[in-house]
Amino acid sequence: MHDMSAQAHAAHHAPTGFIRKYVFSLDHKVIGKQYYGLAFFAAIIGMILSWIMRVHLGWTNFAIPGLHLLSKNGAPGDILTPEYYLQLMTMHGTIMVFFVLTTAPFAAFGNFFLPIQVGAEDMPFPRFNMMSFWVTFVSFLVMIAAFFVGDGPSLAGWTQYAPLSAVGPAAGPGQGMGEVLWASSIAIFCVGQLLGSLNFITTTLDMRTQGMSLWRMPLTTWAWFITSVMGLTAFAVLMPACILLVLDHVAGTSFFVPSNLVINDQLQPHSGGSTLLWQHLFWFFGHPEVYIAIVPAMGIVSHILMANIRRPLLSHRALIYSMGAIAVLSYMVYGHHMFVSGMNPISSIAFSFPTLVITIPATIIVLIWLGSLYGSKIRLNSACLFSLGMISMFISGGVSGFFLAQPSLDIMLHATYFVVGHFHFVMAVAAMFGIFAGTYFWFPKMYGRMMNETLGKIHFILTFIGAYCIFMPFHYLGMAGNVRRYQAFTDDYLQPLIPVHRFITIAAVATGAVQAIFLYNFIHSRFWGKPAPENPWEATSLEWSTTSPPPFDNFGGKLPVVYHDPYQYGVEGPAGDYVMQTDPTQIQLESDEA
Amino acid sequence: MSQADLTMSHPAHPPGMTIGLAPFSVSANKMAIWLFIIADAATFAACLVAYGFLRNGTANWPRPFHSIVNVSVMTFILLTSSLTMLLGVRAAKAGDKSGAFRWTMITAVMGILFAALHIREWMGLIDEGMSMFHNPWGTGLFGASFFSITGLHLLHVTGGVVALLAVGFRYMGGRYDADDLEVTGLYWHFVDLVWMFVVPFVYLLNLAH
Amino acid sequence: MANAHDVQKHEPHEPLGRYLLIYVCILILAAAQFFIAFTHIDAEAMFARMLFVAIAEAILALLFFMHLWAEKRGFLLFVVVFTGFVILVMQFGWTDSHRMEAGAPYSQSKSGTVAP
Repeated sequence: MHDMSAQAHAAHHAPTGFIRKYVFSLDHKVIGKQYYGLAFFAAIIGMILSWIMRVHLGWTNFAIPGLHLLSKNGAPGDILTPEYYLQLMTMHGTIMVFFVLTTAPFAAFGNFFLPIQVGAEDMPFPRFNMMSFWVTFVSFLVMIAAFFVGDGPSLAGWTQYAPLSAVGPAAGPGQGMGEVLWASSIAIFCVGQLLGSLNFITTTLDMRTQGMSLWRMPLTTWAWFITSVMGLTAFAVLMPACILLVLDHVAGTSFFVPSNLVINDQLQPHSGGSTLLWQHLFWFFGHPEVYIAIVPAMGIVSHILMANIRRPLLSHRALIYSMGAIAVLSYMVYGHHMFVSGMNPISSIAFSFPTLVITIPATIIVLIWLGSLYGSKIRLNSACLFSLGMISMFISGGVSGFFLAQPSLDIMLHATYFVVGHFHFVMAVAAMFGIFAGTYFWFPKMYGRMMNETLGKIHFILTFIGAYCIFMPFHYLGMAGNVRRYQAFTDDYLQPLIPVHRFITIAAVATGAVQAIFLYNFIHSRFWGKPAPENPWEATSLEWSTTSPPPFDNFGGKLPVVYHDPYQYGVEGPAGDYVMQTDPTQIQLESDEA
Repeated sequence: MSQADLTMSHPAHPPGMTIGLAPFSVSANKMAIWLFIIADAATFAACLVAYGFLRNGTANWPRPFHSIVNVSVMTFILLTSSLTMLLGVRAAKAGDKSGAFRWTMITAVMGILFAALHIREWMGLIDEGMSMFHNPWGTGLFGASFFSITGLHLLHVTGGVVALLAVGFRYMGGRYDADDLEVTGLYWHFVDLVWMFVVPFVYLLNLAH
Repeated sequence: MANAHDVQKHEPHEPLGRYLLIYVCILILAAAQFFIAFTHIDAEAMFARMLFVAIAEAILALLFFMHLWAEKRGFLLFVVVFTGFVILVMQFGWTDSHRMEAGAPYSQSKSGTVAP
């Protein structure tokens, strides 16, 4: 009947050729792993960039051996130039936000587990799914290519504020070809995410197995669904914005550059554009993007937490509604990034109010987590520890959000390290902890082998302490007036803060090095880990009712039938204190929510 | 809900596929094209907002259009092509294969005609001295936003024509069915719908008085 | 639970007359836009009227050409509310456009020349 969905049927003979099986695979599980691999690789690059920056911030004249190989002009004598510092910072932000925080919790885990959790053989449009990954991959290559072209990547920061981003080579190194590559890469990335979102939404709505009503979907599925709805329109606005930015460079237009702009005593040829237009378009995408990074992590953490506290959360539905409310509000708060940009002051009030309102659903989610933890008999495995870590990071980062939401306070704190600390906690590290939790939890299902728990716990403890050592001092620096995006702190009032920067640098390098434990654990367990049973965590959702790893069509030819809500923990079941979704056992319990 | 779900009669298809129409009773294909349309609507809206933003911020925005003949013919053709598309889908639903194919091809031809007129209009403007950022009438932003928005729309029309031809021939060959034609039709109507906003804001507001 | 055949039931062969009627209505509305373009009103009023007519056209096209009217009400709401919301929240920036003539706040403040 439907050509595209017919592909899902047609595709369900496992491919035999190497290319179809591992490279241009139509299998959502392989695509999920490809996304995971991409995110893993991108995270390593992003982390190395942050090391270089941190070392430079702590010891400005310290020569990092071999750095000149990356860029002869950017790092003469292995010491970063101020411009190259900004270029690396731009790439760190861009790579981490787009290629790690968007791809790993959303595209990677979502691709692998969303179809399995709703009981589908695959997504309805496997070809789109494959394209989605490869388009993202091309976008990544274009982004990385900027390192090796001309005078390096863009230096305008991941937010690419105009006019710096739009005037061209006059603005500094990397603002010629590097900038064009940046904007093109992100425009391509948007296409990939659009294709992914289409698949996620149609899978959730149309491919659920028998008995899998919407309210019976696990919280992870809900989180990915809500995220893809956000991604659908957010990326659709970023794409034309990036295309206009490219036109400003290659077609001589001036969408984002105002008249009479003088750079280095040179009157720029552009005229008539608006710098605020870029900010409006960018943040219209940018704020939903923040939630695109964190909402999947919220779902993952809830999912893992329940398997380890052996009871359902206080409220399944309130959590879903809260995630939905966050998604809706995320479109109405974007101006809180622009309080000091010259935006109409009345708009600041209009954006400040929903910004404070959006903390309500976020707080509800946190309270549901904490309330559910209270008095539970918790199983402290690595996945659970990282989930708790994510909650901790989210709270720490969220609290500083209350300050920044108010224009009067934000005027003082804006563009300081306070903001850097805030978003690294609430978005970056929290989402990273979600990714780690998901990895420890789902690794047995993805690769059919168990990860080493001892190494996982060591990894958690060191990473947790390290993350606080790095990002907590950022807040103090910000309150002391330390401006972000400076490559050195030579001003009198910043001099006394350098020891704090050195402490952060040491913590960052150490915490980064600790990730080698994870890398080792991952690779070692992938090949030599203990074979994983079907359901190692005694969890209830559908991914645990199939083999580890799942067969090509996920359920071995017979789609599961769902009888229960996703989280039947703490009840009398045939195998223990839980009843799986596929288990037809009647449950004698008062808390049947649906 | 839970019991009703489980006790319903077991359909002939494997369970995963039959539930495919809940909760909107819309097939995956149609859902996907609608989601694409929503995203694309956001893209066009962003472009139009950007254009309006810049137009607002510019004193003496140029108003170079003298004749409405070309744009009204283009509008008429595009609106009519929506009707022929409808007729094609209608014929396909009624099982009239050759009729459906004929109407689809007519729609595609109208799309080509529209694109040709559009390019003719571009050529005319370029002859008058308009380029991406220079024109004889005033701010270069006029050309930039005009070419960007109409160019994006023209790209959609071109894509639509290719889709109509491909789906039309495959429908005739039996690989695609009436539903695929309908999905393509939805996209085509959307291209038409965007034009309904492009005409007044990009052309008519810039008429010379 | 609905299955594939229900979709067909939602879409009876629409009478040709209705298509033609909607088509004529849209043509008239499109013509109305051209008519408005030649009236002598200020730019803001012209913009508002054209927007109004364009939305009316779009609604007709959405409901009847794109068959949203024949779908489930839930789907209609989903599409209209979702799209409408996203487009609506895109409008926050307008006040900045007036203030930023030539890219700087009130740099060449000339009342009356601000086009819509």
